[in-house]
Amino acid sequence: MQKNGKYFTRIPKIFPFFLLGTNGTIYMNQKRTAKGGEKAVSEYVLELKGITKIFPGVKALNNVQFQLKPGEVHALMGENGAGKSTFIKVITGVHKAEEGEMFLNGQKVDFKGPKDAQAAGIAAVYQHPTSYPHLTVAENIFMGHEIIKNHMIQWKAMNAEANKLLKELNADFDATAEMGTLSVAQQQMVEIAKALSTNAKIVILDEPTAALTRRESEELYRIVDKLKEEGVSIIFISHRFEDMYRLASRVTVFRDSQYIGTYDVDGITNADLIKAMVGREIKDLFPKPEVKPGKEMLRVEDLSRVGFYKNVSFNVRAGEIVGLTGLVGAGRTEVVESICGITKADSGKVYLEGKEVYIKQPSEAMDKGIILLPEDRQKEGLIMSWGLGRNVTLPTISKYAKNGINDEKTERELAKKLLEDVDTKAVDIFQPASSLSGGNQQKVVVAKALSQEMKVVIMDEPTKGVDVGAKAEIYAIMGELALKGYAIILISSEMPEILGMADRIIVMCNGRKTGELSRQEATQEKILELAMEKGPSNGKGAK
Amino acid sequence: MAGKSGRSINNVPEAPIKKMILSWEGILVVLFILINIFCASFSEFYNLSSLLRQMPIYLAEVFLMLPMAYILVLGEIDISVGSIVCLSATMSCIVCNTGAPFIIVVLTGLLVGTLCGLVNGVILTKFQELPPMIVTLATQIIFRGIAEIVLGSGGSISATNTDGFRLLGGKVGSVPYILFLVIILAVVFAVVLGKSTFGRRVYAIGTNRLTAYYSGIHVQKIRLIIYTVMGTMAGLCSLFLISTSYGANTTTGNGFEMDAIAMAVFGGISSTGGKGNLAGGIISAFIIVCLRVGLGQKNVHAQVILLILGVLLIAAVALPNIVGQVKRVVKK
Repeated sequence: MQKNGKYFTRIPKIFPFFLLGTNGTIYMNQKRTAKGGEKAVSEYVLELKGITKIFPGVKALNNVQFQLKPGEVHALMGENGAGKSTFIKVITGVHKAEEGEMFLNGQKVDFKGPKDAQAAGIAAVYQHPTSYPHLTVAENIFMGHEIIKNHMIQWKAMNAEANKLLKELNADFDATAEMGTLSVAQQQMVEIAKALSTNAKIVILDEPTAALTRRESEELYRIVDKLKEEGVSIIFISHRFEDMYRLASRVTVFRDSQYIGTYDVDGITNADLIKAMVGREIKDLFPKPEVKPGKEMLRVEDLSRVGFYKNVSFNVRAGEIVGLTGLVGAGRTEVVESICGITKADSGKVYLEGKEVYIKQPSEAMDKGIILLPEDRQKEGLIMSWGLGRNVTLPTISKYAKNGINDEKTERELAKKLLEDVDTKAVDIFQPASSLSGGNQQKVVVAKALSQEMKVVIMDEPTKGVDVGAKAEIYAIMGELALKGYAIILISSEMPEILGMADRIIVMCNGRKTGELSRQEATQEKILELAMEKGPSNGKGAK
Repeated sequence: MAGKSGRSINNVPEAPIKKMILSWEGILVVLFILINIFCASFSEFYNLSSLLRQMPIYLAEVFLMLPMAYILVLGEIDISVGSIVCLSATMSCIVCNTGAPFIIVVLTGLLVGTLCGLVNGVILTKFQELPPMIVTLATQIIFRGIAEIVLGSGGSISATNTDGFRLLGGKVGSVPYILFLVIILAVVFAVVLGKSTFGRRVYAIGTNRLTAYYSGIHVQKIRLIIYTVMGTMAGLCSLFLISTSYGANTTTGNGFEMDAIAMAVFGGISSTGGKGNLAGGIISAFIIVCLRVGLGQKNVHAQVILLILGVLLIAAVALPNIVGQVKRVVKK
């Protein structure tokens, strides 16, 4: 299998060459029209050629190209670190490319900064909206270009204009709402409204669906469709294939800072795309081993916390992967946080191996053998500025310390072993966690759990923002943990992940458990039905 | 494991010598030597024996710097320590004047300090959202207020039975006891912070409190311990202060918290948490002590000394930025 892997990495090296050749002709045409002195009429609203961006020590972009047709949705895909974000920043004028040219409607442009890009009608909406949480929606929309008369902000006009934009997007909130009270999806809507308020002709959406639930994603699709109808051209970055199939007409793939190719979405298969993105074939994305579940490890009975979840009961057996799914805000994370003692449940019981346990702190949960791998790797899972080794051994340093003094040699050895066990792509154990890609960071988080004897491992969205190659590797680790007899709770919003990995699926809606499905009977439709049983979630859980 | 690449991850650390020379601590050692040469050429009275004789007054503040370093590494701050010094000095003097045995006086000083630190710690751990700066600002006022009430209209108290304090201020040959104690405690504090499990956890909390909490670290317990020890050390500081001045008044310990913070920050311990080590803090403490003794001997005004220290501090904090900018310019 290893040999195969090597074989496949070779092909693409010829691949981009071939594509560059075909696109060379387009390049020539372009030049001729420009030279001819006529008003340049271009097939593309935006075209980039031979873009190279060098950061100290690394080529973040190496001679990449990109063409955007008017009114099309163009997906940009690639693994983390492939150079997508840098590329976007070149387009929006945040970074200046060392080499290459950019054409807007056939005219050569040279952006000095983000302001120029904005003036040229390019707007970007990021995964985590960069807004002012204490200001109103209208203020956020018009930040930097407020409606002003006689040096005074025209609040009425501004709110009215903002409401008009929001209405176009079918938003269910008012322009006078405070930004911080909105959900991530609603905040993204505001960002899109902001882009529209500047009359943007090109909108870049950077992983907009990563933080959204399925329903909210549907809403976003609708908005994108609408923008498309209005003639706005859209660049859409996403790790989700379903986003691409649903929205895009063409897809461009980057890998290792290089342009790999542009394909029509009709007629491309998942396998083709994965191969283009990863450089090798992934045979089995969900390597779920057949494990016969052992004895019951964890049982939760009628767990309730007012305002978050109510009467939740379930159990997990050794070697079993139990999927916990539902819309974001359904109370999934809150339930496991109570199991681990991060928040306190108001009532209900938790049994570990048949014995009732009272856990008040994560440290107690870990002593008893329950560990939660939190959703937010950067804020809760890792210390980003620390070396990998120290991150891995953080929960267990006291176990091999001598009289309270750290045994650094043992620590280094253990860290090396654990990091190699999960196959982290790292050079040494001293490099900071921030230097790794999202997928490898997640592996380090998993390694932390392996540093001690655990019985129950709870993974909260373990593949969020992780590219497809690393995803498969994380699933493989998960499968191995199950083989070793760990009881695993997998919280996820990604349907294929839940269907592919879980033995049993528990669906929550508005803080209540609405159903439990076995691996055999579960389908996407059944899960969705259960997840939305009690009407739409308001994002705040049960009352 | 399946599909494993067999990749090997290096776990051999770099040789530390090059790192050490280029580190901030390395620069501080050089600075320490330069300051001593400067003081010796500046003042004809500046030599080892005069240094040892005049050191004790300034050394007492090093007791505060040691736990303050922990608090700064936590990413927090305690500005009530000066008032704790004042309160425990006052109480020790009162107990001393009742004729109680000296051991009781010492215990009183330590206990009052510890209790004050405990109050800070309990408030900060029970109400975790409160900013330490504001809480300790409040207790700063409260502790000093209590001391002023106890001191009454005179505003000062003298220790009438000074035998014990004289003993405390004693010497072995020409080396004062306090220097021994400072060195011993400095080593203990430095080892605990730099090498122990406890220290590692302090850094973890200071760098990312949530991750530390999720990793099973008793964040609040550790904070409580550190604030309490801060109080105990303030009590210790107050005892040595009395051993040089034989009394306490309403201005005792004024500004000590800032001196302690300055020593630590000058030593490379970042006030944003998670950075620096006590080796730097200790060297910088001795630089400041030597500078004060040297300038003091030449009758340089106390205010001018403060001014010089202020400039040094800004230089120390700004230096990494300046170096970074210069590097960027050179690269361009």
